[in-house]
Amino acid sequence: MSKKQAAIVLRKTCLVAMITLCACSAEIESEREDHPLPEGADVSERPPGVRGDILTGTSAGTPATFNPLVSEDASSSEAIARILDGLTRFDPVKEEVVPALAESWDISDDSKSFTFHLRRGVRWSDGEPFTADDVVFTFKAIYDERYPNRMQMEFAVGGEPFEVEKIDEHTVRITTPEVYAPFLLYIGTPILPRHKLHEAYEDGTLMRQWTISTASGSPEEIVATGPFRIRSFRPAQRMIYEPNPHYWRADKEARRLPYVDFFIERFVQDQNASMVAFASGQSDHQGITPDQVGWIRRNAERHDYGVHDRGPSTSTNFIWFNQNPGKNENGTPFVEPHKLEWFTNKKFRQAVSYGIDRQGLIDGVIFGRGEPLWSSVSPANTQWYNPNVKTYPFDPDKARSLLKEEGFQYRDGRLYDADGNRVTFTLITNEDNRLRANMATVFMENMKDLGIEVRLRLLDFSNFVNRITDSLSYEAGLLGFTGGRDPHGGMSIYSSGGRLHVWHPNQPEPATEWEARIDELMQKQLLTLDEEERREYFNEVQYIMSEQMALIYLITPNTYEGMRNRWKNIDPPNMGSMIWNIDEIWAEQRLLR
Amino acid sequence: MRTVITRRLLALIPMLLGITFMATMLMHLAPGDFLDQVRMQRDVDPDYIERLEQEFGLHNPWYVQYFLWLSNVIPWDLRSDFGYSFHYKVDVWELLGQRLPATIILSLTSLTFAWIIAIPLGVLAAIYKDSVFDRISSILAYAALSIPEFFLALLALFFAARTGLFPLGGFTSTEFEFMSPFRKFFDIVHHLVLPTIVVGIGSIASIMRIMRANFIDNIRSEYVTTARAKGVPEGIVMFRHVFRNAINPLITAAGFAFSTILSGALMVEIVMNYPGIGHLVFHALLQQDQFVVLGALVMGSTMLILGNLLADIMLAWNDPRIRYD
Repeated sequence: MSKKQAAIVLRKTCLVAMITLCACSAEIESEREDHPLPEGADVSERPPGVRGDILTGTSAGTPATFNPLVSEDASSSEAIARILDGLTRFDPVKEEVVPALAESWDISDDSKSFTFHLRRGVRWSDGEPFTADDVVFTFKAIYDERYPNRMQMEFAVGGEPFEVEKIDEHTVRITTPEVYAPFLLYIGTPILPRHKLHEAYEDGTLMRQWTISTASGSPEEIVATGPFRIRSFRPAQRMIYEPNPHYWRADKEARRLPYVDFFIERFVQDQNASMVAFASGQSDHQGITPDQVGWIRRNAERHDYGVHDRGPSTSTNFIWFNQNPGKNENGTPFVEPHKLEWFTNKKFRQAVSYGIDRQGLIDGVIFGRGEPLWSSVSPANTQWYNPNVKTYPFDPDKARSLLKEEGFQYRDGRLYDADGNRVTFTLITNEDNRLRANMATVFMENMKDLGIEVRLRLLDFSNFVNRITDSLSYEAGLLGFTGGRDPHGGMSIYSSGGRLHVWHPNQPEPATEWEARIDELMQKQLLTLDEEERREYFNEVQYIMSEQMALIYLITPNTYEGMRNRWKNIDPPNMGSMIWNIDEIWAEQRLLR
Repeated sequence: MRTVITRRLLALIPMLLGITFMATMLMHLAPGDFLDQVRMQRDVDPDYIERLEQEFGLHNPWYVQYFLWLSNVIPWDLRSDFGYSFHYKVDVWELLGQRLPATIILSLTSLTFAWIIAIPLGVLAAIYKDSVFDRISSILAYAALSIPEFFLALLALFFAARTGLFPLGGFTSTEFEFMSPFRKFFDIVHHLVLPTIVVGIGSIASIMRIMRANFIDNIRSEYVTTARAKGVPEGIVMFRHVFRNAINPLITAAGFAFSTILSGALMVEIVMNYPGIGHLVFHALLQQDQFVVLGALVMGSTMLILGNLLADIMLAWNDPRIRYD
């Protein structure tokens, strides 16, 4: 090389270096593989869009694992759901189970046997065919004694596992020991690739597969049937998904979904950081808490996003009294006997419920962005919510007269029971939940108007859980649950033997008649596939709950979700994420960076 | 020299035993355990929770758990098993190994930053003792020493948010994967600037004060007067003679500085969302993921001892009068 040539090369290198440095952001090129669509490809009903662009989200939680048998938390399950599909899928807009890896299914006359016809020509993201063997392998792994996982109990009726048999390469029959109502909903569990995990299954290391180390070291090992596969995973930083080149869905113009080139999820410290990132234009979608809606809306025009009011959330908040008549090891009762008498009195609980200013709670705690809650099911769950339950509109006078009817008396505005004991109790809740602490404070004020003195104790989460599930010595608690679409998910709350039947958990026999009735109804609704019939049973459960007020329901905050306006095919369901159909959404205009 | 190294390494063993024992005890004094989050989910079977308790050994009393852990750690068959993370189901060392590079990079940059700024400042303050410069630098040093690092980290984040000159925490940009190696390097540097300053500032103050005091001590010593009397130029007196003598204690201090910087980095990592060990340990502590915490403690204390050892070796190298045997 002559000197002159060297100089030119040098100059060119400098130039390239300068250009790379000057460009504000590197142009990101996608390198999609092109494979023919499978013969049984599912065609999306939504209007076709354009491929390209990057969907960015931020999240306060990091996936802990990509192994469905290990996953315990929402972040992991969400990530897994983008990578692995199941036999069926739940469409939250239609509110029904729709085909996924199984193209169709037949149900036997006794409602116990389901024959799934697998979609033909589907391949894993590494090109291996997806067959009935994968399905059989998945259930073998779930039921294996060596691998304790929470699906073992979802896929069993009275401890009996389902029977899973391969009929041919593309047909699987699953038989349940009894009729099992949520079968089709739960059967959408992620199907595992036999060709990748069989060896680990055999040598007993299945639970140590597909960890975050796999995702960061060799993401190609985590093969996908879902819309995406993992491109890279950086713990505590970000995760980049890229389209699965063998995905089984296409649009009407026979283009394979998903449309986006990349889906990037950035991991941030907490939900506040996540909302700030959205409001400053750094991400495309974000769930927003009611107390932050105001200022985030003000930035909407600048960053071209919309804040959607999605109505009541699925989370429920309630106060309850400890009705457990038991004693601890030292022989002291969990609750003082005279207090237990109030707590087990239905009228007392109803009076307390009338004394709560729920609208005041909503206005004071979440700036009016919520709904009062009367039923154990949030109105967001339109499929199962019973609007005709007993309600307790704010009425302190009625509360006071109810109490007087039950023998309580007022002296100097203070409430005493028939034996002259001052009515007072301690309410516990966990301190890290600001919403709960605020609600407890308003509740204290409401009770003061009834002459009841409430002391508030904020405990750390572990301590709180220990009190209400293990040591059981407390008087009243404030807690909330989220989610849970099917009534089956509430078994541990409603049934008297349930672990989270918080007011009196783990009863060997139902202590009261109404609890026995609920047990009966909950069993009945499980044993039929007829949704109307199930709804009838479950409506009665909700009514009994509202009449008994064992759980005094308070409010449910509304859900808000922000989304950049350029994204199309957005179809928000009543409950669940707005980007549930992530494979179908596309960007109208390219973002100029 | 060899005996010193062996002695130090042997001293590690009782110390690590003590630290890990204390840590296990303290973690168990706090109520609850790793499974609390699982217990509060509505659709979890009690049998399943029991099986997890068995699996994780959480049904044992804490001291039994500790000795079980210890017996796995001791390399009977030449393999040391520090357990795995309950949360991630990943071997503890593997997990720590993923986060270690980021923490080490931050510790090294801030150590370097602190020395580069502090040494010249200390020397200048000593040479121009009692001048305006000396006074101002003292005041600033005291101020820097008294500001907690997490607060400084918050200020830095605020600064970054207001000016947009620096990224809001993190270690790399979102587009990092798609960058050329050259840009990747600059991206990391860009992200390192603020955390380095935040972690380094506290050490600058202390190193500077030590440097100033030593330098003044040495200026007053007799060999300086002799050298001056011989007519050696002032610059050579200061930098060849005084400086080499004055920096000795600082090398010892560097061993400690390494450990303080490491612990400072942990706080800053949490505030600035920097994906290092501190970030990991903080979340592990909150979740009571005990083996991760123990593993990190073992690693941290080992690094502290090794840092001190390294400082002693460097001291011998700098000062021929020091002999360890």
